[in-house]
Amino acid sequence: MELQNADDTAHNTAENHQPAVSISAEQQQQDDNSKARIEAIPAEDEDEDEDEEEVLRRLLAPDVANLPPAPPSAVESNFITYFAPDFIKPGHDQYVHRHANGLCVIGLASGHVAFKENGGVTSVDFNVGKSDRSGIKVTGKRKRNAQHFEPNTALCKVFSNDAYYIVRCCVKGSLLEVNESLIKQPKLLNSSAEREGYVAIIMPKPTDWLKAKASLLSSEEYKNLRDAS
Amino acid sequence: MDASPTEAAQVVNGHGQAQVVPAEELTRLTYAVRDLPAHAVQDLLSVGCDTGMCPVWCIFRLFGVHECICSCSLMPQSTLCSILAKSMDLEGDTMVNGVRAHEDSSSVHSYQEPDLVAKCCIICLGILQFVYIDHQESLVKTDCPYNFALTIADVVKQQSYQLDNFSLEVSLPPIVTENEQAVWLYMKRKHASELWYQEKFISERILTKDVLKLCITKPLETLLGVKAGVSSSRIRLTYTHLDTSVKVQNTAEANQSNKKRKTGMLILLCQPHTLYLQCDISDCLKSLSEKVNQPCLLALLCNRSPIYIGGRYLKYSRNVSQSRWIVDDERIGEASVEEIIGSNILPFCRGDNYKFHAAGREDIDVKVKNLKVLGSQGWALMHEGEAEKQVYFSLCRQAAIFENLYGPFLLYFLQKQYAALVWIPRSLKDDDVQTISLLKDMAILQRTPIRVLHRRSPLEREKIIHWMKVERVAGSSQYFLLHLCTQVGYDLFFLFA
Repeated sequence: MELQNADDTAHNTAENHQPAVSISAEQQQQDDNSKARIEAIPAEDEDEDEDEEEVLRRLLAPDVANLPPAPPSAVESNFITYFAPDFIKPGHDQYVHRHANGLCVIGLASGHVAFKENGGVTSVDFNVGKSDRSGIKVTGKRKRNAQHFEPNTALCKVFSNDAYYIVRCCVKGSLLEVNESLIKQPKLLNSSAEREGYVAIIMPKPTDWLKAKASLLSSEEYKNLRDAS
Repeated sequence: MDASPTEAAQVVNGHGQAQVVPAEELTRLTYAVRDLPAHAVQDLLSVGCDTGMCPVWCIFRLFGVHECICSCSLMPQSTLCSILAKSMDLEGDTMVNGVRAHEDSSSVHSYQEPDLVAKCCIICLGILQFVYIDHQESLVKTDCPYNFALTIADVVKQQSYQLDNFSLEVSLPPIVTENEQAVWLYMKRKHASELWYQEKFISERILTKDVLKLCITKPLETLLGVKAGVSSSRIRLTYTHLDTSVKVQNTAEANQSNKKRKTGMLILLCQPHTLYLQCDISDCLKSLSEKVNQPCLLALLCNRSPIYIGGRYLKYSRNVSQSRWIVDDERIGEASVEEIIGSNILPFCRGDNYKFHAAGREDIDVKVKNLKVLGSQGWALMHEGEAEKQVYFSLCRQAAIFENLYGPFLLYFLQKQYAALVWIPRSLKDDDVQTISLLKDMAILQRTPIRVLHRRSPLEREKIIHWMKVERVAGSSQYFLLHLCTQVGYDLFFLFA
């Protein structure tokens, strides 16, 4: 078929009420035709609605036998988790969930000393001396206002009943956001530190990440380390 | 003084040309030529003789002889030369000016030498003599616009393009414009005070590019059997001058006077009127004659603007992604809708390439998270739930608005329907099913998901979920199908990101 016939085909297709293909030309004069084609589509759908619904239902219906008893969690399937045990101070275990797009979600690892205290975490304060980490609003795709932090920069203070612990970046990069829900619901750290209880999201540069990665432990290594101790 | 039709015809025969040129056209042409300011033409020709100025077409266009350019596409160069020469000669005889008569005779003489006709013009570099170097680097000479158009039409036909119409694009090397400026400058300095110059010359002179288009458009229309005009199909003639770049480099390295002239010409291009006076006439034409008048390299390219094909599809397989999905050079999924559609359409349309613009989001593997519920407890159920989901377009509930935006149209689907396979840690109760089905037009606030946070602004966006329906999955109390109908924005699918 030659180039010039492309538009003709579009007209034929629309007339034949075949789904899936309609061709729009960039020319103004084609606009009326386009509209006519769009209007024609719903009518045709109603005829085939029954069939389509049935086919879809069949295709969508999962076979339970093929499904895992419990599917992997979103964190497990979307992130690779690394650990920074005893970061700066003993017992300050932190995790780094790294997404395939390079972003790192920072949080407290299950082995963090704050969780071992009676009552766990009671409050979280993003005001760490010089500035309030939750006060800075990063905007735009270029991440204006994002602060560039070093691995040992403090993100927040986590309070338990009788002590407080400083949570740090672990990874050099721009701070995109902190989990503000922790201010109102610090207990999220106790219940799901891995998920809703994350502390911050950091965007490292690829080269910085490679350096940081070298200093972090994999899940396996961290597990072995904590099991041994 | 009179050049009758028969005389003109004889000229044609005298050169042994078998081309059929209607006698009345010859007459018209002869008259048109005779209307030209003879002394100016002769003067230009006399300069051109020494340096190799394009004898006919450049003269015609410089003096704005539209009718000749349009009508004499069949006439060979030599015939036109003869007409011009003869006409000038006759008029020259009537003038009692020895010098001009002398120049005339020399020019007439030169036109009877065919090899001089073929000599490359110093202004248009052979473009208006239809002399060029083709892509195989061989010199091609066509003697009239028609034959030149014939070669173009052959190429177009060889590439089996079928056209409804076409637009002709011509791209010339900058040196041609430069040359043109120089000649105009020369004419201005010499004839600015004369009446014909003020009346006609300034307004009616035609650019090389336009002449070329003018004289080959008609023949091309005939040969291709379609009309020229604004079209998505383009025939593009790109002339490039190989020596120009070398020359420019050489000039830069050469002595200062050369440099000066070069910059003088360049500034002239920008501000021709103010700088006319600063430039010496002899300099202009000398600079022309010094240039290497090699024919240009011609590249002929046919193309057409993209064809936009819009449509909808239903994807029945999870192993097929929407667009080609490659992570670290490793392919994910068996195929993609993009490739399946593209690989079928591309050979069909014989395009060079294709682009796939997806309207709406669809993921091979999506998860529920990052979700915040506004004024509803219904989502607490979903909060913990996550599982693989199959997503599909609703066929019938879309309202589509086509908009012409920067060429390709955009599709806005106002509502979209999805189905998600959801797993929750506890068993699904009838209450849950009831609760979910009662939620109507629920507004949710969604933060930019981490999945796309690296390339999007961190924001909270409000979305509306129009309705939801739970479909139990046989044999499982924890898995269920959730059907959702949602408002579609630019980033609706972030629900599941």
